[in-house]
Amino acid sequence: MPRIIIDNIPVEVPDGTNLLEAARSIGITIPHFCWHPALGKAGACRACAVMMLEGPVKGIQMSCMLPAQEGMVVSTGDPEAVALRHSVIEWLMINHPHDCPVCDEGGECQLQDFTIAGGHSIRRYDGLKRTHVNQYLGEQIEHEMNRCIQCYRCVRFYQEYAGGTDFGVTGRAGSVYFGRQQDGQLESPFSGNLVDICPTGVFTDKTARFRARYWDYDMAPSICPGCSLGCNTVPMARYRELLKTTARRNDAVNGWFICDRGRFSKAAVNSPDRPRLALVDGEAVSMDVALDCLRERLAGFLELDGPEGLAIVGSPRMSQEAAVMAARLREITGAGTLCFFAEAEQSAATAAAVALLTRDNAASQEDVRRSDLIAVMECDLLSDAPMMALAVRQAWRNGARVYVSGRSGVEVLPFEFETVRALTDIPFSSATNPVLICGADRKGIDSIRSTSLEGVKLALVLNGPNAFGTALLAGGQEAVSFSEALADGRIKGIITLEADLPSELPPEIRVLAVADWLPTRLIAATEIFLPVTSWVEMDGTYINHEGRAQRFTKVMHPGLPIKGLSPELHPPRIHRHDAPGGDILPTGEIVLQLLERLGSERTDLTGCGDTWKFLTLLEAESNGFLIYERNNGP
Amino acid sequence: MEQLLLKHTRAGQCLSFEEYRSTGGFAALVKVIRNWTPDEVQQSVIDSGLRGRGGAGFPTGRKWSFVPRDLTGPRYLICNCDEMEPGTYKDRVLLERNPHLLVEGMTLACYALGVQHAFIFVRSGYEQVAGNLRDAIAAAHRSGYLGKNILGGGFSLELDVHQSAGRYICGEETALINALEGKRANPRAKPPFPAVKGLWGQPTVVNNVETLANIPAIINDGPLLWKNRAATPEAAGTKLFCISGHVVNTDCFELPLGMTLGEIIDGPCGGMRPGSRFKACIPGGASTPYFTDAHRAVPMDFDPVAKAGSRLGTGGIVVFDHTTCMVAVTLNLIRFFARESCGWCTPCREGLPFVQHTLERIESGRGEARDIDILQEHVNMLNYAFCALAPGAMGPVDGLLNHFGDELREHISAGRCPLEGDYIC
Repeated sequence: MPRIIIDNIPVEVPDGTNLLEAARSIGITIPHFCWHPALGKAGACRACAVMMLEGPVKGIQMSCMLPAQEGMVVSTGDPEAVALRHSVIEWLMINHPHDCPVCDEGGECQLQDFTIAGGHSIRRYDGLKRTHVNQYLGEQIEHEMNRCIQCYRCVRFYQEYAGGTDFGVTGRAGSVYFGRQQDGQLESPFSGNLVDICPTGVFTDKTARFRARYWDYDMAPSICPGCSLGCNTVPMARYRELLKTTARRNDAVNGWFICDRGRFSKAAVNSPDRPRLALVDGEAVSMDVALDCLRERLAGFLELDGPEGLAIVGSPRMSQEAAVMAARLREITGAGTLCFFAEAEQSAATAAAVALLTRDNAASQEDVRRSDLIAVMECDLLSDAPMMALAVRQAWRNGARVYVSGRSGVEVLPFEFETVRALTDIPFSSATNPVLICGADRKGIDSIRSTSLEGVKLALVLNGPNAFGTALLAGGQEAVSFSEALADGRIKGIITLEADLPSELPPEIRVLAVADWLPTRLIAATEIFLPVTSWVEMDGTYINHEGRAQRFTKVMHPGLPIKGLSPELHPPRIHRHDAPGGDILPTGEIVLQLLERLGSERTDLTGCGDTWKFLTLLEAESNGFLIYERNNGP
Repeated sequence: MEQLLLKHTRAGQCLSFEEYRSTGGFAALVKVIRNWTPDEVQQSVIDSGLRGRGGAGFPTGRKWSFVPRDLTGPRYLICNCDEMEPGTYKDRVLLERNPHLLVEGMTLACYALGVQHAFIFVRSGYEQVAGNLRDAIAAAHRSGYLGKNILGGGFSLELDVHQSAGRYICGEETALINALEGKRANPRAKPPFPAVKGLWGQPTVVNNVETLANIPAIINDGPLLWKNRAATPEAAGTKLFCISGHVVNTDCFELPLGMTLGEIIDGPCGGMRPGSRFKACIPGGASTPYFTDAHRAVPMDFDPVAKAGSRLGTGGIVVFDHTTCMVAVTLNLIRFFARESCGWCTPCREGLPFVQHTLERIESGRGEARDIDILQEHVNMLNYAFCALAPGAMGPVDGLLNHFGDELREHISAGRCPLEGDYIC
């Protein structure tokens, strides 16, 4: 733990910390472009120059390149260091276009910030700026090479970190070019991170171009609902439209990045087809009327058919709060069936997977990144959990051996591996931190159960952002899969909450109510439809594949995007307090209001027993909370 | 003056393997394999005071000593024949005349270092050199001087010739290693130095052609005799000087280290051309600050040249006469360096074109007084580039500002180049 002094402030930092990070730890930001915490040092931009006054190294040094050593005395404000940093900005601005007003990066641009901060405003170079030809990189990423300041972050991420091969750097000297060999869609499933990682506007989110400045966005910490990994995100919205999603750092989970599927999946939230109005027998009504009507019909159903015939059906894509409320609805109504999973196979495999995990053996993405031996079994990583593939790649880059067995997307995985037939062929005992990654697959889970895996951490990729949470709940509530309940033949009516039920239902089953924000086929069959909020319009919790409860918070108000209004309504000429299509509630809240109408006292999660009380204390801006610790509180 | 590197050679002809062997070639190797330990070879090189001939002048024996001794796994020797410094053509002359000397020198170096696989990195365009080397390696193989169990002494070595795709930056040893690994020729961060972590992460020594070619003579003559062939007691050995510019004889000469600049120009070079008066010279390749008339008495050896404000560099001397515009000379050189920047770091990639642009303005009569400040700033700031290319590139600009400030200001005040001679531009 070397002790150093930066600008007269003494600080002690962990071994291996570079001076740039050491300065950041005490609130001093040294300008930098090429250095990135996930990509490490490059020493290319020379913007982070500092003066070393005392210690083993003297004179001007690049703070990103120099690990802190005992006795170093550093000045960031030394005139010579400032002069060099000033020169670096002047050099970079020689060729950088002055197009900030029409650049999407404007306002969230590292180059813009450090140029302003450094005070460079008068141009001494009177020659021409160099220009490049831009490439078509697909429908998601816009390429504007003239803005490039050659920090090499993009290529270091794309090739080294993510293992992409279709994007790189060509040319030399002033003609260095970052792009593909020819125009075309970027192939890496992580290409969207170029947008986050570029310190200026070379790569911008094409799907959100020219829509908003940074300060216009509604933003809040959130969790990606795309798979069970629970990557941390910051969705960015404006005028009730989800415009883009960026990665949010969480060292235990996704690190600094997210996959393209998580980044660019926003169409359903903004879709004009999204069901936003409450319906009773196909007629649009207010939410209150719909709930009153549901209470009446539910009471009638319970009287006529008895509670035994009622099924409350949730799914692994609902928040844990909503899932808890679904269980409570079942309890209050005395419904005969509670389901969280559609298929028996999936239900059993998820339950078995969750039962296998303990505080000691559950592996996070970070555990995978730090592993020295990884086995991937019965899991198509790039399809089921793309960021897990990126985590495996980091371990592999650090020398970890990788084994793959069973179902996998073998031809495209971004790491080298050996194919094995069975779990027993993998030399786990030769490794210090082995991790086994397995899909929510009956065969895979069974073979884990029947093999002795002492000291092997498990990363079990589940199906849905809250599969872990709903499986836990299902176990405690004796829930069954919908297909099993259906086969039983006792279901006479169902209420579904964000549920995806696969096949056509038998006609004798009444669909009393459907609550969802996606336009599922059940909507056509239901008597009452209750529109609910999507994850960006509400607070909630997902419990990810390793049992990590993570809070997501409300990013934007629900309602029809303003650009979706007719032209005569923009700017709006009718003033109202509610947003069109905004009369919707989170699923959990809808259940609560229904319960109140059924005579139950209004309650929140704390009223649902001690088991889930900790969820109310969870902070979004944290590393999340491992469910195994829940008796101790977060 | 006794020749060590160029002895028995003739301009325009490549010494055959038999000729080399019959004139004492491979005697050093035979001696070493039979009777010497690797440490004795290394000690001889240390004792000789041999300094790297590629430009930096780092003591060769010391460089070798940085290789960890008790390491398992392979280690490598790379011969740097990426000779692209403008004004420098010594390695080409040497290898076009006698490639066998390098093969023997490398074999000795590999023996000393425990290397079993070595590479010769030949610059693009040196087709003749690469061909000569391949032939020489094949001949040495046939005679048992290379390959498995050399001369029955148990030491094995393979030599490979790699022809570069051609960039100046490949001469920088870590960029060279990257290029050899098939990566972009960007320099690597140091530390770790190549001697610890080089080619494919293994300990690697990178030496210049001329450096390695001196080793047979050091073994044959003994380090002291070899060292004393220099012109001054401080200097060690002989050096290839390649001369170009406005002198009578422009050729590559092997001369004792430490001869003064004046002795070289008036002696082997035959003086200035008729009608030419000496104005300045580049003393050691394009990245070294100019010498003027005042420097004629400087001994051409590493330390004295450094003390006089320049560098001995590669020994590539370019002489300019009184008709030469030094702004134009500097512009010519800067254009080369700006083009040859690898594009990795900002000062080099963006700073050199700025300097080039500024010199173009001055030379074309559009200069302003502040342009001199811009040049001076760049001389200072480009020292903080990632590798030595940019600081080296500013050598001529530094020389221009130090010795030809008046000429520079005259360009600006007159609004045109005051000199007629513009051939170099």
